[in-house]
Formats: sequence, C-alpha cells, structure tokens
Amino acid sequence: METVKVAFTVNNEETVLQVSPNETLLETLRERLDLTGAKESCGIGSCGACTVEVNGLPLRSCIVLTSEMQGADITTVEGLNREGKLHPLQQTFMEEGAVQCGFCTSGMIMTAKTLLDKNNQPTQKEIIKTISSNVCRCTGYKKIVKAVGEASKKTA
Amino acid sequence: MILPGFEYRKATSVADAIALYNDFEGKARYLAGGTDLMPLLKYRLAAPAAIIDLKGIEELKAIAAIDGWLTIGANVTLFELKNHPVVKEYFPLLYQSLDATSCETLQMRATIGGNLLQDTRCIEYNKSLEWRAARGFCLKMGGKCCNVVPHSRVCLSNYCSDNALSLVALSAEADLAEAGGEKTAGLEKIYTGSGSKPFVVEPGTLLTRIRIPLEKSKGVYEKLRVRNSIDYPLAAVAVAMKKSVARVCVGGVGPAPLVYELAGTDEGTLRDAANSASTDARAVPNAILSPAYRKKMVGVLFRRAVQKVLREGA
Amino acid sequence: MEDNLNIVGKRVVRSDSLAKVTGRARYTADLKMPNMLVAKVLRSPHPHAKILAIDLDGARKVPGVKAAISGFDGSGIKWGVFRYTQDHAMLPTDKVRYIGEDVAAVAAVDEETALEALSRIRVDYEPLPSVFDPLEAMREGAPIIHEQYKNNINIHVHIDVGDVDKAMESAFLVREDTFKAAGEAYAMMEPYAVVASFQNGFLDLWMPNAGPHVRAKALANLLKMPLNKVRVRHINSGGAFGGRSEVAPADLVASLLSIKADRPVKLVLSREENATSSRQIHDMSATIKTAMSKDGTIVAKDLRAIYDGGAYSSTGPIATSVPFYVYEECYRFPNIRYNGYRIITNKGIRGMYGCHGRAFLAGNEAQMDLMAKELGLDPVEIRLKNGLRAGEMTATKSRITSCGLQETIETTARKTDFQKRWAKPQKLEGIGMGCVAIMCGFPMGFRSGSSCYLKINDDGYVTLVTGVVDNGQGNESMVIQAASEILGVPMEDINLVNADTEITNLDPGAYSQAAAFVSTNAVKIACEKARKQIVAIAAEKLAVSETDIALKNRLVYSVANPEKKMPIAWVVREAFARAEPVVATGTFFPDIDLEREWISRPWGQMAGTFSYATSVAEIAVDSETGMITMPRFTAAHDCGRAINPMAVEGQIEGSVQQAGVAAITEGNLWDGGHLLNPDLLEYKVPLACDMPEIDAIIVESGDPVGPFGAKEGGIAIRMNAYSAVACALTNATGVLFKEMPLTPDKVLEMVEKATEEKG
Repeated sequence: METVKVAFTVNNEETVLQVSPNETLLETLRERLDLTGAKESCGIGSCGACTVEVNGLPLRSCIVLTSEMQGADITTVEGLNREGKLHPLQQTFMEEGAVQCGFCTSGMIMTAKTLLDKNNQPTQKEIIKTISSNVCRCTGYKKIVKAVGEASKKTA
Repeated sequence: MILPGFEYRKATSVADAIALYNDFEGKARYLAGGTDLMPLLKYRLAAPAAIIDLKGIEELKAIAAIDGWLTIGANVTLFELKNHPVVKEYFPLLYQSLDATSCETLQMRATIGGNLLQDTRCIEYNKSLEWRAARGFCLKMGGKCCNVVPHSRVCLSNYCSDNALSLVALSAEADLAEAGGEKTAGLEKIYTGSGSKPFVVEPGTLLTRIRIPLEKSKGVYEKLRVRNSIDYPLAAVAVAMKKSVARVCVGGVGPAPLVYELAGTDEGTLRDAANSASTDARAVPNAILSPAYRKKMVGVLFRRAVQKVLREGA
Repeated sequence: MEDNLNIVGKRVVRSDSLAKVTGRARYTADLKMPNMLVAKVLRSPHPHAKILAIDLDGARKVPGVKAAISGFDGSGIKWGVFRYTQDHAMLPTDKVRYIGEDVAAVAAVDEETALEALSRIRVDYEPLPSVFDPLEAMREGAPIIHEQYKNNINIHVHIDVGDVDKAMESAFLVREDTFKAAGEAYAMMEPYAVVASFQNGFLDLWMPNAGPHVRAKALANLLKMPLNKVRVRHINSGGAFGGRSEVAPADLVASLLSIKADRPVKLVLSREENATSSRQIHDMSATIKTAMSKDGTIVAKDLRAIYDGGAYSSTGPIATSVPFYVYEECYRFPNIRYNGYRIITNKGIRGMYGCHGRAFLAGNEAQMDLMAKELGLDPVEIRLKNGLRAGEMTATKSRITSCGLQETIETTARKTDFQKRWAKPQKLEGIGMGCVAIMCGFPMGFRSGSSCYLKINDDGYVTLVTGVVDNGQGNESMVIQAASEILGVPMEDINLVNADTEITNLDPGAYSQAAAFVSTNAVKIACEKARKQIVAIAAEKLAVSETDIALKNRLVYSVANPEKKMPIAWVVREAFARAEPVVATGTFFPDIDLEREWISRPWGQMAGTFSYATSVAEIAVDSETGMITMPRFTAAHDCGRAINPMAVEGQIEGSVQQAGVAAITEGNLWDGGHLLNPDLLEYKVPLACDMPEIDAIIVESGDPVGPFGAKEGGIAIRMNAYSAVACALTNATGVLFKEMPLTPDKVLEMVEKATEEKG
C-alpha cells in the first residue's frame, strides 16, 4: 500500500501525517495523536460514539479515511475547553447529570456542538432530532436534552 | 475493527475517476460519503484494490433548476438537498424521504449518489467475515444457496434507499457516465431485481446526476421502522401526485423498488392497488420483523400514503 | 432518617464527570504501554463440535507474532461461581459449545499481523449434533452438551411454601398463562476490552468490570496464582448492566498471552464479538398459574420458568432465582411454588441483567390485572391489597425493614389519574402499572460485606480507599459525597482510590445493588470513626464538649459558639504529633442468613434491605400497523434516601429506556446458533426520539440501616418498566401479550385477536 500524505488541523494544531490509505480518522486520532476522547463502539457508523467535528459538521470518524482529511479543520472533544475554560456543553452536561458511563459522551457533545454552532436557540424538538444520531445506553437521554438546552442559553 | 488494505486515489473529474477505475482493472470502488461502503469494507464484503474518492469532483456538487429539470449532482449530501429551497417547494415527497433517511449526522455525510447506489441488505449478509464463514456463504457472497430461504436460487436482499422511492415516484432520471460516454436512464430502470447484483450499470459506471422534472407535486413518504432515527426502512411507500395522477413507489422489501400508477383515487381502486402491491412484495425472513407482517404493511402504508396525499390535496 | 445534611441529598455534580466531558477519562481500550501487543481471538464456527487438534505452529511463524495460545496452555481448571457449576474452561480443550466461543488466540505487534496469524491456526473439529431450544434440549435423546447435566438441565430451583395445590382447589378464581421473552443484549457502549501486563511474576489487569475482587479471585483460580499476584486495577467502565459481573474468557486469553509473551497485551472485542462472545441475556418462558379469593387476595401461585442458559453455567442458580425473589419481595404469597429451570443450549454464554426476567415479571403483572378486572378491582387496588409492608416477612422468610411500595403506587396513580383512565381506556389507548422489589445485595457468603480505609493527610485532604467500583451509575461520586458529609470537607478534597484489588479491601461489587447499602455504609462507618478522633482532639483544643462540635467547610467548630473553630488540618497534624494519625477502617456486613443457599436451602434473610418501585406506562397502539407509541412514563422509586437525586433520576430515566421502551424494541434474534443482530444497527437500543416524557419520582422510605437511610437507586424500575408496558397493552387491547419484545408484528396479532373476540 502506498502511504498518503495528509495535512490537516486538529484542535487548532497543524498536523502533517503519512498514513496508510486504509487508516480511519478514528484510528489516527486515537493511535497516533493520543486523542482517545472519541470512542469506537459499533465500528460501522451506527452509534455516533466516534463523532468529531470536521469543517463544521459532525462526522463519524470510524467510517472515514484519514486520507480524505486533506485540508480539513478537525475538532475533537479534547479541543473544546480552551485556556482552561470548559465549553458550555461540557459545563451543562456535568451540571445536569447528563453523563453516566461516559462512553457516548464525547460523541454526544460533539454532535450537539455542531447543532449549537449553526442554531444557537434550538427548540427541544430540534435538539432531540439532532441527538437521535447518537446512541446512549445509560441515561434515557432526558438529561442530555436538558443539558443541550441549557448550553444554548449560555451560548446565545 | 480495521479496514482491509487498499490504495487511495482522489479523482478530480468524472473522466479522471473512470480512468482511475480502469487503471485498477476494475478492482476499485468509488467512494463518496462512505456511509454505505465503509461498513461493507470493514465486514470484508468488498475487497477492492483501490478506493477512488469522488468528493473532489466539484461539478458533481451542484444543484441547479434549469430547462424544466432539477439537476442534482451525485456528490450533493442528503442534508444539503433536504434544505434546498426548490426541494421544499416542489418536492415535499423528496423532502420527507430525505428527512426520514438514517439520522442527521449521516445525512450530512451521505451523498444522493451513494444513497441510490447503496448495496442491498440482509440480516444474514451485513455481518463480519467470521460470522458469515460460520454461517456459510450465501448467493450474494457467491455461494450456492440462500441462507434465509432454503433452496432459493434468487437473492431477495432488501434495497433500502429511502430516496430512490421518492425519486422514482417523481419520475427522476439518472445520468450515468461510462468510459464510452454519458447516457441517461429512468431511475427505475437501473435495478436488476436480483439482490446478488442489484444494479444494471456496468462496473466503473459513475452515477453523475439525478434529474427530476421540475413540476410542483404533492407527496407523502411512509416508512416502517422500529426506531424513529438511524434505521433503514423495513417497508416504505412513496407517493407523488401530479394533476390527480398518483405515482406510487414501494421499497424496502426485496431488491428493487416497484412502481405503480394509480388509474383513479376512489376507494375501490386504491384498495385493489394496495392489495396488489402487498401481493407483489417479496418479503422473506431477511429483516428483523416477520415477512408476513412486512408484506401486509406494504398494503397498509400504500393506502395510508395515498389517502394522506388526497387529504392534503383537498 | 437523618436530616440536617449539608451535601447528602443535594444535586451535586458527579466527581467523575469532568474527566468524561473533556475526553480525558481513560477506558481500557485507551491504554497504551511500552511494548504492548495486540491480541486477537480465533472463535468457533460450530455450535457444537469435538476439538480433535489445535495447531498453532503456523501462527507462531508469522513475523511479529509474540505468542499463540489455546486451552492446552491453560491450567485445566474450570470456572464456576459455585462448586457445583464449575463447567467453564474459558478456553475449551474437549469441545466447543457455541458459535463464537474462544478457541485460540495470538498476540502480535499489530492488528494486521494478529489477523494474519489467526488465519494460519488449524483447528480440526468433529461437528456434533446441536440444540438451541431449551424445551428440545430437555427432551430425551437431545444432544448432551455437558455430561454432568442430565437432559441439559443445568439448574433446577425448587421452592414450595404453604400448600399450593390445596389453595388452588378452593380459590375463587384461577388462571394460567404462558409468556415468552427474547433475551436482550447488554449493548453497553464500550465493547469488552482487557489489558493484561505480566511482569516479574505479577499480573496486572484492566477491564470494564463490576466487581474487581471477585474477578481477581476467579482469575487467580484459573491461573493457579495467589490473589496478591493477580491485580485487577481501576479503570473507567463504559456500562455494565450485569454483563460485566463475571470473569470473561477474554480475561484468561489476555492473561495467558501476556504471561507467554512476557509483554503487555491488549485485547479489544469488536461490537459483534461483544455480542456473540462476551455475555448475553437469557431468553425465557414462564408459565404462571394464579389463584385469587373473591376479594382479590392472591391465595396461591404456581410458577414455572425456563431459562435458556446458553453453553455454560455462569451465575446459573442466581439467574434462575432472581425473578422469583424480586416478585416475592414485593407481594404477599401465603402459598407459592416456583420451579425454575436453567437449560444448557448451544448458544453464547449468559449472565444476569438489570432487566432480568421480563417474561416472568411482566407476565405475572399483566395476568394479575386481567384477574383483578374479573373481580371488579383495578390494578391499583389489587397491588395495594397484596403488596408487602414494612415489618412483614416474605414467603421465603426475609424480613422487610423499610418499604415505600404503597407510596410509589399511590403517587404514580395519583399523578397519572390512573384508576379513571384504566377503567375507561380510549380506543387502543392504555395505561398500565408494574411493581417490583429488589434485594440490596445478593447473599455472597463472606463476600457480602465491604471494608474500606481512609486517612486524612497533614494538609487536611482525604484519601479514601475502597473496593467499590463504578460502571457509570455514579458509585464513586456517591461514596465521596457520603464521606464529604461526615468529614465536613468538600467533595473535591477527597481523593478516591478504588477498585484496585492490591490496594482495596474486599467489596461485593456493583452488580447486586449493594453499592449504596453495603459499600457506602462501610465508607460511612470509616468516616464516622475518623470524625470521632477529630472531634475528641478539637473538643479538647477548643475547650468545649464533644457534643458541641461540628465539622463543615474544612473547619471544626463549636455549635454553641461558632467563633471557636480551627481547621481540620490542624487537628490532623495534632493527631500525628500524638502518634494517633487520623486513619480509620470501616466494615459493613449486612444482616443476612449465611446458611441460605440458592438451591439446597432457599430461605432465610436474603439481604439487608429491599428497595421498591412502581412504573406507569401510557401507550397508544396503531390499529393497522401494531406500532406502539408511548407519550408518557411515570416512575416512582423508593430508594430509601437519594444521596444524589440527580443521579437517581438518571438511573430511573435510563431504566425507562432500557426496560420500558426496550420492551417494544429490544430482543436478540437467532437463526439456530447464529445471533442475527449482534450490532447496534439491527439490535434496537432506543434513541432520543423514541423516548416518552418521563416523570421520575423519588420516594424516600428511610431505611433504618441504610447509610443516611439509602437503599439502592438504580435497578427497581429496570425490573418493572416492561411490566407497566405489558399491562398498558392489556388495558388497550383486552388481551395478554404472548412474547416480548412487543414488536409491531406481534402487537398487530393481539389487536386482531382482540377484534375477533369482540366479534
């Protein structure tokens, strides 16, 4: 396999890597860049635990090749709290008790972030629709929906 | 779960993509959003020598309403298409099926081209190599018999594109590019009816654009699924109504959508049409709900969808 | 119940959440170590086959492979929770018993190499006849899966209290029905993973687990190593729900590979492997015969349940018993007989589940509603009439010390206008109620208690050392909150060192509802001892009486004269100087009958206390598609005392998803021994858009022994939410369900049957 040279930005840091063509973005983040916040749960794009933000959109990194990431602007959950300050979603997920086992949390927060970035006053219905992209096994989603709503008040 | 080995190439034009395909002597797969292809690769249901990324082909990203057609580039994502003003205004049916496709995150990645050319699915097929090896290879894997219908020689895996049903109901056409040039076909003509090889297109053919006649229509999409997000249809019906002519497309059951034109919309005609759609549906135990139920639901959804359109028309 | 609390009872931010929202919380698959190898497992493609030979040579020759093992590299010891259930070698050498069973494994420098090596392993099998249905497996002539289990009957629990037959004969109303339910998938978001690191004779292990001490013991047995050389270490766990309770084949695989390679090994299961080859939940059926007197008193129950146990014993006797017990802990049964059979089949290994026994429990509840209706009673009246109360004994002689059952019934009924709506349901709309109790801790012999240690450092910060483990439910935060309350220091001043078997003392683990009642009690006791030491010194220094001393905000002060105060840190330093440092151990052992045994002596005090809950589901059924929609769910849980109400609500809401909505969507599907939905696409974990509005109600009965009155706050709704849905469906259609999950195809049959009956 010919390796592929890819240059992209991760959490504001420019990164240039030589990757195998069959390497997924999730593998690159976790194995090479030690960004283990994104998780592999289903491995086939059906649960959202690996969601990261790429060019402003939520992306399931387990079914995307790193080779496709040339020029991309990538944000992972580790990149959300800048200068020691938590992102409003991180704050409200804690305050509202939206975190239990935590395995879906990064993906859930990143999905919600892309919603708030383009719609900072979502209705409850819109929040539910967006986070219905992600599976959570612990919470019953109620506190997650609440946390996203509360965060939208902080970002408004 | 790691991917198998392959080369990665990025195409810059349609011609470039086809040339790359031929460079790899046909042992390549086109990649658009990857939401269908990547799981297939992970499960070793495809083992191409190369992946040819189409996302760099700018000309396939456009949506244009010209010359009486809405022309949609194959690279347009489902989410972009869903939010396009012309779609909302002219084709409520397409809006509904796009909105009912999987979930928002995947709508933002999946392209309309990939959605239409997605592989057919079966509960005994979309599994890892180890799972399938233990079960025994089926018709679609090149084996001798079907794993869900013993002794069957036909693969009835399900074609699960939500949007194909809308587009067929809307009489959409598909532009197909091959090494020899482009051709156009009615979308409903691209299906073989066999789950083993669901599409008539030759290997290397690229779906470049979808074209829908630009006439306002009413429409309803009815989808049977267990969860209200992420899930593929277990049966689905799309109805497009133009000038009191209803064109109905049934899918999610079997390898190809089935089209019906309703001669009238009176209760008797509708009942007969719904019954015959139910009779036509070739449901086998290849999904999580029973085949008898799915078959029955084709009729129920058929009637519901048409009645709903009629109510809206009133 | 103690009032006047500063922190306990408050909606505090959980101590573990900061690491989780920032992506810094480490789970097993996130671990990296120098020289770490990747492991992969070769699995059985056969449901039942004799192993003739395993040849690992080909695998060993692949460059980059550092170890290859099979069961022939093991000790030959078989695992079982009880002496009479020791049947699971984890890596078999005689025969394979399910598709996906671990047969051999390799450790290599990377995953590609490991996969290549697996393809070079040769296993010769002689396929044997297999059996997948428990009823067929029990028949004469069925293939025998383990020689020692005649007719494949792994476990038979027989309980017979009073005179059931006599009571049945003279009862006013008798009814018998049979219910089935597909087993569910735990579907915890974290697929199973193990890191094993063997160095200098010591084995360190990380894996999601619900009881580090029992896990270490099982592995020590399997590896023939002393306990202090098998160290299960702390790591975050991405959900358990009962599926991470027992030792797993992957634990042994990773351990053997690490020992052989003399390097750390990481084994991460794929989602599919997690379903086929970690643990699954029992499919089951239940035949329920109930006798009532004219006034609705339950006079007798004759119950028979058959559990599809899969290939090995697992927690067999417990799994076979628990649905019965949670029912008899809830209602009064003067005459009751239970025959529970756990049958071995050629399917994956099974375990306990937070929602265990839905055919049995939902069947009992739904049948009771129909019988009540016949007697002119409603579900609320029949439950209040037959429900146990504090001070009563269960049929198998457990005393109920605190009981909020009545309050949970009355509150949910009032908030939903239950009786009126149940009496006159709209067309195909229904409301249903489910009740249950649950023991706070299974009897586990000497492992039933918890013991912890704490020290206060010379800066006043606290180190708390306990075996308690957190699988996501919030146990870590709970014990910190309890310690913070007693020691008068903020939660962030307490460093919790937990779930590390070489450091922490024996603890029952988090899989038997024991963490709040047992483990937190131990923490409370230790903290109270330390507090007593602080109070004694402070009283002397401040020249006030010990009864006048309070601790708050890192200070010790006089309640009568708050100006008299000093930092706790000063007291701690003074204690060091007196050669009496502030250190304490705390041990709590629940008041249980240690003679009790699941099969040979199924009576006596089961647990220190029992929690209670009531669920109410409101549903509507689509008459043409059979689809159920559920607009609202009301759940009240008597958890004794909510240490963190926000965490208890989270447990209730999660239970509504995992048991209530799942009653409609979730169930494993099989084609013989092939699991058809081992993924997160075809296995239907409900999504946000599928959830009802939830009213989560906390009822605090204040247990006399529980820490601050607490019992458990996580599982009772999980054990009755499906009953509420089943009962609502009976209310909507007038007929009983036959099989769960209540997918639309099955519901449509019920609707059609109901229409026929109405004629």
